Amino acid sequence: MTTLFKIATNNYIKSVFNQAQRNISITSTLHLKKINEIQEGKDLVIYGEIVSSEREPYLLKSNHSKACPLCATGLDIKHTDVLILSQFVRKDGCMLPRRITGLCKTQQKRVTYLVAMAQKSGLMPNLTPAYSNKDPKKRYEWKKYNKYFDETTIPFKL
Amino acid sequence: MSALKRVQQWATFARIWHIYNAAWQNPFHSSELIKKYLMGMHKPIYHPMNDCGDHVIVINSADIALPGDEWKKRVYFHHTGYPGGATWTLAWNLHEKDPTMIIKKAVYNSMDGNLQRRYTMQRLHIFPDENVPKELLGNVSNEIRQLRPMPKRLDDYPEKDVKEFPKVIDYPKDYVLR
Repeated sequence: MTTLFKIATNNYIKSVFNQAQRNISITSTLHLKKINEIQEGKDLVIYGEIVSSEREPYLLKSNHSKACPLCATGLDIKHTDVLILSQFVRKDGCMLPRRITGLCKTQQKRVTYLVAMAQKSGLMPNLTPAYSNKDPKKRYEWKKYNKYFDETTIPFKL
Repeated sequence: MSALKRVQQWATFARIWHIYNAAWQNPFHSSELIKKYLMGMHKPIYHPMNDCGDHVIVINSADIALPGDEWKKRVYFHHTGYPGGATWTLAWNLHEKDPTMIIKKAVYNSMDGNLQRRYTMQRLHIFPDENVPKELLGNVSNEIRQLRPMPKRLDDYPEKDVKEFPKVIDYPKDYVLR
């Protein structure tokens, strides 16, 4: 009985995995994609587009094999370094997850804090959700005044 | 006496006018700096009984910066003297009512309470923005260096600079841009 069962399961597994599962394709399946939305009168046209990365020519070269991209630079990043911090957020100011940034755990947490600090100081007003009024001076009550942060208060130390 | 020494002599005994841009500066750290110029403590002839203080013009006092959440944690106390006459005003509330008040109080509190303090304060001129009367601005011969660099907003950089700034990471190959 057990042998019969074994044969049956083996056959079943074979039938599942013998299906033609092609892992080879002639053209590359992985591309950087961009989704565009265009309003044409009443119609909303949404179409995907394969694009090449704008960052590629300006990418920093690192000699480290193991270090994460930010550790490899050896920079001490402050919350006012918006040109670096803006590379880790989406268009709406939302932090990119670790599987996309490829940073180490500590750096990912630190950058998350630094991005929040920069946003609270109103240093990245163009990277905000669509419903935001964009101008830090129009914020609610105490939030409209200039503030700065101390990076040593971040609980994640390098 | 060389020309430099002679000018130094004049500058020490005359009342010099300094200007200080308070934009993005901590008012409580700045007050320790401004106080020295107001009282003349930067001069070699300084003595508490020697009236050798300078004038200081503070501009952009509306754009001062406080650390963290201090705008809603710092409280200014006032008592009218009557029972129940105590009021507590938050820093952002006070700043909304008068954008020169926080820096004025900071400088006033940084000095010792003696008879000279009120007269020293008369040499401090605070303006919420950059509009300083011309007759005051004409006297200015020195700018006091800021304590912390003014941060630059991302939308103030030219688009080309943002695009061509060295990039730390690239998007993964299967990423959908958003």
